[in-house]
Amino acid sequence: MMSERILVTGMGIISGLGYGKQATLDALCSKHSGIGKMKYLQTIHNYYPVSEVPMSDAEMMDSLGISSQTIITRTPLLGIMALKEAFIEAYLDKERPRRIAFINGTTVGGMEKSEQYYPDFQNTEAYIAAHDCGTSCEAIAEYFDGFDMITTISTACSSAANAIILGANLLKTGRVDVAIVGGTECLSKFHLNGFSTLMILDKEACKPFDAKRVGLNLGEGAAYLVLEKEQHAKQRGVQPICILSGYANTCDAYHQTASSPDGQGAYLAMHNALEDAHLHPHDIDYINAHGTGTQNNDLSEGTAIMRVFNDNIPPVSSTKSFTGHTTSAAGSVESIISILALLHNFIPANLNFNNPMPELSFCPVKDTLTKKMQHVLTNSFGFGGNDSACIFSKID
Amino acid sequence: MDALILELKKEIIEVLNLEEITPEDIDENAPLFGEGLGLDSIDALELIVLMEKNYGIKLNNASEGRDIFKSVRIMAEYIEKHRTK
Amino acid sequence: MNIYIQAAAQISAQEPLSHAWFQHPLPLSERYVRSVEPDYKEYINPMEARRMGKILKRALATSLNVVRKTGINQPDAIITGTGLGCIENTEKFLTAMVRDKEMYLQPTYFMQSTHNTISSQIALHLKCNKYNTTYAQRGISFESSLLDAYMQFELEKIRTALVAGYDEMTPDYFVLLDKINYWKKGEVNEAILRKSDSVGAISGEASACFMLENKKSNLSVCELKGIDILYNPNQKRIKDALEELLGKHNLCIEDIDVVMTGINGDKDNDAVYNELERNLFPSIPLAWYKHLVGESFTASGLAMFISTMALQEQVLPASYLYNGSSAIQGLKNILIYNHFQNKEHSFILLSSC
Repeated sequence: MMSERILVTGMGIISGLGYGKQATLDALCSKHSGIGKMKYLQTIHNYYPVSEVPMSDAEMMDSLGISSQTIITRTPLLGIMALKEAFIEAYLDKERPRRIAFINGTTVGGMEKSEQYYPDFQNTEAYIAAHDCGTSCEAIAEYFDGFDMITTISTACSSAANAIILGANLLKTGRVDVAIVGGTECLSKFHLNGFSTLMILDKEACKPFDAKRVGLNLGEGAAYLVLEKEQHAKQRGVQPICILSGYANTCDAYHQTASSPDGQGAYLAMHNALEDAHLHPHDIDYINAHGTGTQNNDLSEGTAIMRVFNDNIPPVSSTKSFTGHTTSAAGSVESIISILALLHNFIPANLNFNNPMPELSFCPVKDTLTKKMQHVLTNSFGFGGNDSACIFSKID
Repeated sequence: MDALILELKKEIIEVLNLEEITPEDIDENAPLFGEGLGLDSIDALELIVLMEKNYGIKLNNASEGRDIFKSVRIMAEYIEKHRTK
Repeated sequence: MNIYIQAAAQISAQEPLSHAWFQHPLPLSERYVRSVEPDYKEYINPMEARRMGKILKRALATSLNVVRKTGINQPDAIITGTGLGCIENTEKFLTAMVRDKEMYLQPTYFMQSTHNTISSQIALHLKCNKYNTTYAQRGISFESSLLDAYMQFELEKIRTALVAGYDEMTPDYFVLLDKINYWKKGEVNEAILRKSDSVGAISGEASACFMLENKKSNLSVCELKGIDILYNPNQKRIKDALEELLGKHNLCIEDIDVVMTGINGDKDNDAVYNELERNLFPSIPLAWYKHLVGESFTASGLAMFISTMALQEQVLPASYLYNGSSAIQGLKNILIYNHFQNKEHSFILLSSC
């Protein structure tokens, strides 16, 4: 049924590649990674390469017209920046449908400030309330005003993907007219140190799917998609971008931080997303992999890809080699990257790849590839085995 | 060596939160991982932190720990050789 | 479509993993109240438990409890809500990070600090590969979880779901929230809370877990008829949303036997319920529960537990009644109304079955 399709009608993004879709596209096409020396985060571990958004909090507040006295943390600031772009594209700045849901994914929340003021929050008590995840969502909602419903999903690296899934379900059940979905996450000492203790950070630029890979680079960013049913988009006169064809959420249920050797959770996520989209594996033109660059993920995910696609593995690349691992925002950052690839007929390179993994029957795409595409699949796998996949398709 | 082995057992119990276990329960020659005490990969990471914090021995990746953490005795022998604290 | 609550379990300031306390709950008289812990050995072996903070142990115990009661060990969805997540482990990592200047940090505390640790651990124990997610939206974290499950039942994506809400309150975080007036100062008891003449509530912890299924059985405790979440609604929006929800089941506001509210003794919090009572529920008895379990981000999970007990036993004892004094017998419909700082509002409709 034509009117039942869920369309993407707006997108907004900010990451280490810069602000906005154009900056992101330019960086991808010119193979210019956002990973480099730490500039903003204050930590003794500043030898780790990261992908930071090239704006300070003060610069973002200035650009958004937010008073410097406002109590607000970096996570929601990134979110507001990204959402602004999506808002304008989806004409939500002109006229507001009554029932809009805002679903945000984050895990860091206000921790980037809490860790500075901990334990006493002396003279900074106003930031105590800003600590928890939900406050970031409220701060973003307050800036835009007019949301009918908000909530926060916190499933680590698959948060934003799960926000997309919840938004789609809200639309399908007719509870909302528009769902704004995605995630935001800033760098923090807390999770940088956390990942460091797990020994999964690379001291150089990450090498997803490379036999010599040693770990990931953290990144920060925010990205949102505006979703609505086709009929509603038509009525509003907004230009549709693409279709959210299918999605799935599964659980690896193997280990708190490691993925199963046979990639069962990842396999089920991709398999179920294909089923949801009524597509076959051979319909997929590109996989934007989770591809963190850790020994464990890339093997597990690679194995799962082989199980789903067998001898017909489409081009695969991990754009975490551009944006770093934006954790809770990764699902929407990479969805937008996948959609840009879909619309502009190219496959982003998997940077820093040189040595094929002996366990896998495929290699990632080393160089930017021109390809006309119809369907793209993006994976987001979180700690705890929270595995999600989304499929986006061109509008016929 | 015996004193170090006892000290190590106490530290392992503390850092891995093995509440129901005493130093006497741990056989210094038995495997720590898989069978024996039945520790896992996260415990290995904790032991890597312990090595650096208490003995000044820095391991660069998790797989380096695999041979060192075979048993309490092997761990103690490695520490004796390489400790800087 | 019908959704039934087949089993429920809780750990709180009242007797854990039990509903025997329901008709005679113990009153609270401290401003910082921790949950009563059950014996976890029945649910978790020591080698696993050694890594777990309180919130994780409570989550496993309550979820395994409902799994055992129902025999549903592969629910189609595992969805939990938590406002603060695993704050005990977060604090341990953060404290060490600040104290030791980012040196020698222990990975276990970080690993078990993310909000989704709870849902993942439950799935790990059940070896369940199905839908799994975690909500962390302050006072509506539990309701968000329930809404997600409800919609998936509607879309026929699931037939069973384990839905829960968990929050713990550490001594240090209690002190932080005390600085920003979350908690009552000085002496507390029911009479003082009823006055609602100052800021603050009793600090509590909440663990509540439910097994939902789309078919009735001899286990069925009650029916989940509807749920809605609103953000910054005005009175008209609330009325419209409530009437829409009730209308789907050919009900009107007068069919509600009691409204279970989140009244907690804080004057600003309670004023919102007073306004709702005036506008929407002038002749419906109001009930409350936070004087018995304290305030926490997912306290509404305990409201649902209490409401399911009331529908099962067909009585809401006087201890829960806010206005009116005698117990209510013969309950058909309970509306659980919750709001967080008058920003997020939610209501859940439960019915006897």
